[in-house]
Amino acid sequence: MGSPVFVGIQRILVAFDASPHAEHALDVALAMAGDMKAKLFVISVIRPPEPAESAEFHAVLEDGQERYEKCFVPLRERAKQKDIELETDIVLGHPAEQIIHKADTIQASLIVMGKRSHTILHRWMLGSNSERVLRYAHCPVMIVH
Amino acid sequence: MTNTWALCALWVGLALAATLLAIWFKISTALSEIVVGTVAQLVIGVFLTGLFGFAQGGLAGNTQWITFLAGTGAIVLTFLAGAELDPTIFKTKWREASIIGLAGFFGPFLGCTAIAHYVLHWAMMPSWLCGVALSTTSVAVVYAVMLELGFNVTEYGKAILAACFINDLGTVIALGLIFSPFTIKTLIFVVVSIVVFIVLPFLTPRFFKKYGGRVSELEAKYLLFFLFAMGGLAVWAGSEAVLPAYMIGMVLAGTVGKDHSLIRRLRTLTFGLLTPFYFIRAGSFVSVPALMAAPVTLLVLFGAKSLFKAVAVYPAVRIHKYDGKAGAYYTLMMSTGLTFGTISALFGLNHQIITQAQYSYIVGTVIASAVIPTMIANSFFLPHHLLPHHQAGKKAEKEVMRPVPAEEG
Repeated sequence: MGSPVFVGIQRILVAFDASPHAEHALDVALAMAGDMKAKLFVISVIRPPEPAESAEFHAVLEDGQERYEKCFVPLRERAKQKDIELETDIVLGHPAEQIIHKADTIQASLIVMGKRSHTILHRWMLGSNSERVLRYAHCPVMIVH
Repeated sequence: MTNTWALCALWVGLALAATLLAIWFKISTALSEIVVGTVAQLVIGVFLTGLFGFAQGGLAGNTQWITFLAGTGAIVLTFLAGAELDPTIFKTKWREASIIGLAGFFGPFLGCTAIAHYVLHWAMMPSWLCGVALSTTSVAVVYAVMLELGFNVTEYGKAILAACFINDLGTVIALGLIFSPFTIKTLIFVVVSIVVFIVLPFLTPRFFKKYGGRVSELEAKYLLFFLFAMGGLAVWAGSEAVLPAYMIGMVLAGTVGKDHSLIRRLRTLTFGLLTPFYFIRAGSFVSVPALMAAPVTLLVLFGAKSLFKAVAVYPAVRIHKYDGKAGAYYTLMMSTGLTFGTISALFGLNHQIITQAQYSYIVGTVIASAVIPTMIANSFFLPHHLLPHHQAGKKAEKEVMRPVPAEEG
């Protein structure tokens, strides 16, 4: 059984970008979903280069779809072994925006995401997705270090 | 220039640096390459003149082989842009697409021309070129937002996307025809083009089926042959090589455009070798001192571009009853495509229609109109679906924010 704070968690949303941090977050979410018999949703967001340029944009889109689909194959196998109901989704756009939107759409009980260490310049230029999700999400957010 | 390989290493090194910057800051490689080209030209031109023997003209962007690679990059990039068209869109939405697309073209084209001529006091031909360069729309920017919000499957989204292609077609045709004298050569070019555009969609799939799919890359050679041949004919007629390239892309969108493997191989060639030369070269001609000397010119052109795009597109969209929140999305048509914007400006510079200072203002405006909306969006980040809205606007928002798949066919 999970701790009392996790009682009632039925839908867990994991933000997955194929990074080691996201893999770690996924491991944690899988364990939690198994313990709590929760449904697991995994969302991967393809972020287009800004400003999008036609040929490059389509290349990024196709590349992202292929990469995440490959990642989802072993994930589905792991979920099946643990008897966890799994739903995967690949979307395009701003990561924080899409994660929050997905969480609202599926009425997620919890969002799990990895924390990436960005430089100060990177944070200033682009912001942190985990910080934005923490700020705007309508459900608890777990950041896995 | 004495050492071709050293110069080549410098350019490819700059391309590598630009790609790293693009990855770190999640910006498009094209934008990164333009900026790197501008900075490198400034740094090398000012600080390293005379060093290594190639610094006399900075990056030596007018060296023949660089011009060739850059030109080929522009042609193939334009072809790929045309090949991304979804032909089925036009079957159902051609009327709306034409009206909105032509409005999106003529508004900024005529408006920016007038502003350049009457406010900035540019001569007539540079003003026309300014109008052409700032009339474009970034299909990719619009498509990205459509995909993000799910509009790409709606009637609304399909019409706007088709309109973007019409808009860019207007730009390419204007670039190809306005600045060339109408002679018998033009007539020959037009007639041959029409024949080729009719024959290619029938010939290409049959030819590829019979001889394609081999390691000798027959498909790439076949496409390059037609792109170069038609480009050569266009230049002979006093026009621009990207005009037939875009048209060939459009007419082959239903066949070659759907061959993902071929398109992928072409992209490798394009991004790996050709476009870095094109965009870095485009950036290297931007004069930073000219921009700093008259920044107001940049503001005037940016304001004109945004204003006339909005003024032209808004009524056209209203006519087709795309109401409410839709307004926020068709304004995306204000975003300028870096490819067509810089192609137009470079054409003007190469044909001495505009000066280097005017080129700098136009490219600066093209970059600003592509970047500023994104910067604003990132700075004031708020999830779209959480944005507060008035009760009166709810009905319209529901219609637009919850996409309804378009009927097939």
